[in-house]
Amino acid sequence: MKNINKISIFLFLILGMTFTSCETTDLDLLDDPNNVTLDKADLERYMVAIQLDFRSFVETMGRNGAQLTRIEYMFGRTYLANYTPENTNFEWGLAYQGMFSDIVGAELLATEQGQYKHLALMNVMKAYTLMTLVDFYGDVPYSEASNPSEFPFPSADDAATVYAGALTLLEDAENYLSLGGGSIQNEFFYDNDYAKWRKLIGTLKMNAYLNTRLVDSGALGKFNAIVNSGTYISSSDDDFQFRYGTSESNPNTRHPAYGADYGNSGAGRYRSNWLMELMLNNNDPRIRYYFFRQIICTPGTIGADGVACAPNGPQLQCSQQAKPPHFPADMTFCNVDSGYWGRDHGNDEGIPPDSFKRTAMGVYPAGGRFDGDDFDFVGIGQGGGGAGVTPIMLASWVDLMRAEAAMASNNTSAAGTLLQSALTKSIAKVQSFGSLDATANSSFFPSSADVDAFKSSVSAAFNSANTTGKWNILANQTFVAYYGNGINPYNFYRRTGYPTTLQYNIEPSSGDFVRSFLYPADEANTNSNIVQKPNVSQQVFWDNNPASPAFPFAN
Amino acid sequence: MRTKFSGILTLLLVLVVQLTFAQEKTISGTVTDNTGLPLPGVNIIIKGTTNGTQSDFDGNYSVQANVGQTLSFSYVGFKPSDIAVTASSNTINLNMEEDAAQLEEVVVTASGIRKEKKALGYAVSSVKEEQIKDNPESDLTRILQGKSAGIDITTQNGLSGSANKVIIRGMSSFSGSNNALYVVDGVPYSNDTNEASNFVDGNMGTSRSFDIDPNNIANIDILKGLAATTLYGTEGRNGVILITTKTGDSKVLTSKQEIEVSSSYFFNEVASIPDYQDSFGGGFNQADADGWFYSNWGPGFYRDGLGGWGSFVNDANPNAGFNSDGTLAHPYSTSSFLASNYPDYQAEFEGQRYDWRPRNSVENFFRVGGVSTLSANMRGRSEDGKFNYGTAFSHLDDEGFTPGNNISRTNLTVSGGGKLSNKINVRGSMTYTLINYKTPPVATSFGSSSVGSGSSIFGDLFYTPRGIDIQELPFETPDGASVYYRDDNAIQHPLWTVKNARFSQKTNRINGFAAIDFNITENINLLYQGSIDTYSEDNVNRQNKGGRTGSIQTDSGFYDTYNNTNTINDHKFVLSGNNFSLITDWLDMGFLVGATSRSIDFNSIGVSSNGQQVFDFFDHSGFINQTPIEFHSKRNILGVYGQMNFDVKNMFYLNFAGRNDWVSNAVNNSLFYPSASASFIPTSAFPGIKSEYGINYLKLRAGYGTSANFSTGYPTVTLVNLNTQAWADDAGNLITSNSTASSGGNLDIKPELFSEIEFGVEGKLFSRMNFDVSFYTRETQDLIVGSRPIPPSSGASFSPSNIGKIEIEGLEVDLGLDILKSDTGVNWNFNWNFTKQRSEVTELDGDTQLIIYAGFTNLGNGARVGYPLGTIFGSRIARDESGNLLVDGVGNYVSETIDEEGLLPAIGDPNPDWVMNYTNTISYKGLSLGVNVGHTSGGDIYSITIASLMGRGLTTDTEDRLGTYILPGVSAATGEPNDIQINNSDFYFSNGFASPADELSVYDGSVVRLREVSLAYTLPAKFLEKTPIGRLTIKASGFNMWYKAYNTPDGINFDPNVAGLGAGNGQGFDYLTGPSSKRYGVSINATF
Repeated sequence: MKNINKISIFLFLILGMTFTSCETTDLDLLDDPNNVTLDKADLERYMVAIQLDFRSFVETMGRNGAQLTRIEYMFGRTYLANYTPENTNFEWGLAYQGMFSDIVGAELLATEQGQYKHLALMNVMKAYTLMTLVDFYGDVPYSEASNPSEFPFPSADDAATVYAGALTLLEDAENYLSLGGGSIQNEFFYDNDYAKWRKLIGTLKMNAYLNTRLVDSGALGKFNAIVNSGTYISSSDDDFQFRYGTSESNPNTRHPAYGADYGNSGAGRYRSNWLMELMLNNNDPRIRYYFFRQIICTPGTIGADGVACAPNGPQLQCSQQAKPPHFPADMTFCNVDSGYWGRDHGNDEGIPPDSFKRTAMGVYPAGGRFDGDDFDFVGIGQGGGGAGVTPIMLASWVDLMRAEAAMASNNTSAAGTLLQSALTKSIAKVQSFGSLDATANSSFFPSSADVDAFKSSVSAAFNSANTTGKWNILANQTFVAYYGNGINPYNFYRRTGYPTTLQYNIEPSSGDFVRSFLYPADEANTNSNIVQKPNVSQQVFWDNNPASPAFPFAN
Repeated sequence: MRTKFSGILTLLLVLVVQLTFAQEKTISGTVTDNTGLPLPGVNIIIKGTTNGTQSDFDGNYSVQANVGQTLSFSYVGFKPSDIAVTASSNTINLNMEEDAAQLEEVVVTASGIRKEKKALGYAVSSVKEEQIKDNPESDLTRILQGKSAGIDITTQNGLSGSANKVIIRGMSSFSGSNNALYVVDGVPYSNDTNEASNFVDGNMGTSRSFDIDPNNIANIDILKGLAATTLYGTEGRNGVILITTKTGDSKVLTSKQEIEVSSSYFFNEVASIPDYQDSFGGGFNQADADGWFYSNWGPGFYRDGLGGWGSFVNDANPNAGFNSDGTLAHPYSTSSFLASNYPDYQAEFEGQRYDWRPRNSVENFFRVGGVSTLSANMRGRSEDGKFNYGTAFSHLDDEGFTPGNNISRTNLTVSGGGKLSNKINVRGSMTYTLINYKTPPVATSFGSSSVGSGSSIFGDLFYTPRGIDIQELPFETPDGASVYYRDDNAIQHPLWTVKNARFSQKTNRINGFAAIDFNITENINLLYQGSIDTYSEDNVNRQNKGGRTGSIQTDSGFYDTYNNTNTINDHKFVLSGNNFSLITDWLDMGFLVGATSRSIDFNSIGVSSNGQQVFDFFDHSGFINQTPIEFHSKRNILGVYGQMNFDVKNMFYLNFAGRNDWVSNAVNNSLFYPSASASFIPTSAFPGIKSEYGINYLKLRAGYGTSANFSTGYPTVTLVNLNTQAWADDAGNLITSNSTASSGGNLDIKPELFSEIEFGVEGKLFSRMNFDVSFYTRETQDLIVGSRPIPPSSGASFSPSNIGKIEIEGLEVDLGLDILKSDTGVNWNFNWNFTKQRSEVTELDGDTQLIIYAGFTNLGNGARVGYPLGTIFGSRIARDESGNLLVDGVGNYVSETIDEEGLLPAIGDPNPDWVMNYTNTISYKGLSLGVNVGHTSGGDIYSITIASLMGRGLTTDTEDRLGTYILPGVSAATGEPNDIQINNSDFYFSNGFASPADELSVYDGSVVRLREVSLAYTLPAKFLEKTPIGRLTIKASGFNMWYKAYNTPDGINFDPNVAGLGAGNGQGFDYLTGPSSKRYGVSINATF
């Protein structure tokens, strides 16, 4: 009897445990409670992610290109050490892991739902991204990309094939645009104006032909055919750009360059001395829109008030140093007059407490402050509050592209005319940003006379210059007009080698110029089908110029 | 049983008394143990007869004996003694001596089963109560450091309550946790560390092993090898720390009741303050400090002579350079930040001067904290011994040396057990723990402000230029924002951080178990045990607006409140049997089969706000932006296990075990893993080799063990990231996006398998020396890489995968030596342990050449074939083909981030070459002196503390600085030997701390440490005779009293025992994440 009691106690316990522990013995807990699964993905939400990734990709790649071409300041004395494989992991990830894999998912949904406008836009963004990847890296994965079950380790396609593929994507996009489908819920670029998208497609093709003009004798012909068709961006109303907002967080919609410079600890980035001095010397009317000065005088120069100020080693180390022997006498070095406080290409000195002294990004394109001789400190929320743009393809740039095409065809007078047209469009666009800064001192807005004077001085210089001089002027003006996006200037520089007057790297043995980027570490370390390049001297397929260091001249 | 027996004895005695009345006398007395406590149940037999008695609960006995007879006293665990009855002896009191050798041989193994140590075929280390209790260190995990070979404990920093890692026999996996499993009284005990954020933004959080009260611990057994831990399943794969508490001890109490009370007070000081130099102040290039630099390469604190401030006198302009009286403009009077944002406030400083002299700002920043503990525990049993109870209470208040850091702990345990009938025993225990933890923020710093979005109390502190007075410079503007010396005000004033930023965590924890034993037969027992361990952490991470981290969210003021709840439900059934004599009686057999279910349910939920509207108002309604904090994970593990053990004539032991686990979060979710071990006792088999002054005892053992690790999280599903705040239109409407997750699911993910072969020899020699040597090799196959990087071009960046193999081999030696041994005089015991271990990644799949699994992707711990696991990868100084270091055009090193194979170069190995610990215990009567010294040789560390203090010219190491320097190497341009002279700041700053070559910040972390010193005095029993106190011990002790990292620069006083990457798998990094602590004080322990 006693034993039976005991056994029943145990049985009771076992039963009790079984009931209470169903939850603790469940072996099928595969679903992640924290995230939605793939089948819950939505086309419109994909489109938002794809557009935002595209914007980030262009912005960051544009910054890489701008730093190499002195439109922006580059920190670090040797090219190889500055552009390490780890350096562009983010950009590569945006393209492949972000955009391209989302496009795979979104295309399935769009095709199912007959949403051809969506397909068209995805094609355009993917095509431009692919071409940019080729421009920066050379051979990149394309045909085997974004298909993990079949190709877990994609091989790189030949760069020319990728370019051809991108052009096909653009053509398909054109076709899609005529096939119907609803509009995109959140279209950040043209607000569903598909005529503008058609012009963009034409322009992107022109861009591709111009890039490949050295290796494709028919390229300029195809370029001109589009010009003749008229389906390209010729008016600034059709500019392809991403517009930012003023929200500081949740989400931060401000221009990234604005976020870097308009903090409560002063400006975060240095501006390029070369660009500032070029524009200052040229009396360029855009200079007050591009740059915002915090102080009136840079150590060791003449201030904006005409008063000289003494060199100051602690604040600006190079103001007490001699110009490097490899710099020509007339080359920008260390400091720029009138309070423009930036840095030289390659300077890697420690950062002194100068963030309330260095020149900040202006109202164009980042939505900062217009420089009305305020000589004031930057701060959060000032100026346009960050509601600037990332320019991606502008009407003024198209004129510059056409000018280059004309120069390449030895039609210098057409080039001169197009250059003037480009300046007109560029200056007008930049000036339109003045209104973003409600506190701007409008008495410093350049007058039309100022603008005309500048244009005619450029024109006069261009007309009187020899071919090299003409190329240098075109190149300088191209670099100025592309402020905010250095992708094309980087291509231009490798394509033409101009300007030869670009500021040298401060390090005489800086190593070869970056003719193409090393593959990102995230890709090279994980993919045995991608062999890392030995250096940054490898030229992309459309670059048949002499090898570095002979080219480009101003290394 | 005992009652019946004594009844019979009494009856017998009565008979004897009647028969032999004339010759007998009554002898009575008290039997006590070596500490003076009464010993009940001691057998007292009159030698040569069957007559005898037992001592009662107060240790008293009374027996009839004849003069000339001998009383024989015996009791388990004590040396037997014989005492002759003389004519004068009416009272015989005996103080029985503990038989140490006998006690040590019993250890706790799987399922709480006590076994004789000689029967085990694997290494087990035991740590005794005396080595743990009344320690200045309040964190049990830290106390265990150095106590046994093979155990490596890294503390995050010296902050009270900061996290720890316990790694036994090295890291076997780089995806799963490598932390050892804590088991308290047979119940798994969570040792999670839930940090406030990641290591970059907020490296704060307590490891939950802190919840254990060290003063309630009776004993700790550490199971190191896989053969020992197989039955603990996948959770025990990293070794098991088995804790037996005093209240949970199922051992029969020797006295009716025991009360132990202890109280202590310790001082807690910062241990690693650098030796700052006082000759030079802030600035760069030896020039005046216009704008107030972070670096300390400015003019001397002397006027004349080379480097003096005299050359920067500029009386004409009070705001530039020095006045001839040796003063500068007050930094706040010239600050551009104040001019820009607080002109009115700046006006208050107009014309104020600032003395150019060194200040002991950093030294004065820290305080001396106090650690007080009070603990009491009481145990007892019923008269008949059938019921027992225990209760323990303790309270700790540990005040850190850093202002704003404090942790308190309150434990209350109630336990009890009873024999319901002869065959059923019921036991149970419940502990409640309350922890209140508070700390200023700690985050990664590279030596100029914190790098992420979090503030860091230490990130801007240690490199304070010598001329800066932290205490005197006001830290807040009229509206409460942080203000500091530098022109752009880019770093946060440390005092502002103390006042306005903090992380706090209040933890309520309940853990306990109920168990029923059913002795089916004398040899067979069925056990059910159900247990629960649940903690709830209420976290508050907050900072007022006006901070200076550079992150707009942080600086706008933020307030995160969230709760983490973790619940472990554990059930087990075990049927065990032992002492079956098979075939003949020289073979004994035992078996055990069990089934267990374990469920781990973690939920985190809360709100994160930023955009504080009213300064110092912390309520979510006072913030503009809110985002939810939410995370859930649940995982169930089922296990079935069995074990058989054989004992051949007490000299050869064999043990077979195996377990199968199933987990809930994978498709391929089951793995069986076996183990086998054997031990052989030559001294029992061949008694001839045994002698008192030769070999006393010898044991050879061998074991093979396996275990499994299952992937965590939800590795099989591919997900979509939903972001409801992806963008906002001009009207402020939020726009939602979704994008495919960067990690692709893997349906084929399977468990990784660990296997280990271990050989060992243990023995006693010359009656003075113990030794225990283990050699093992371990292998991890099908390594799980939770987020294995895959080519982004495939569409995802990560995928959980099984790749590769790690091989580890190691040697552990424990040695004990009684240098002096005497019953009455001085005893001197010396203990030494030694650990050496090597790991190597032997396989990765063909496509993956390097996986950085901890730290930053361009500077972190990685796995690469042919390199030890944990190797530090980062940029190095560029070399030419013949290995010469390359120097650029201004005389600084050129860096490179790809090596000969196109991969991130290896720049250091954080694994030490070997670790040794020495413990000396010298005792004389009631006095006992203990000294524990640890020595770690080798092990690289990437140290921002060293790099920034050197690079910024702060310590005595950089005092001799007025010459010029030429770096060894060749010119990158010409290949000729470098001949460019550089100055002090370029030498130390540009070619150390600020160099892009991370290699220059890697140092050897060898360290010698005086870890513990203690002097205890136990009052002689006779002093206490008239008091209720049974024993009273007063102890003075110190923890981490001295150390020397002898291969790092002298003046830094660097302590390499820091974990800059938090409690995860990262090692060998220091990101200015905190100094270490030194503690010393007094404790009193009394038993009643």
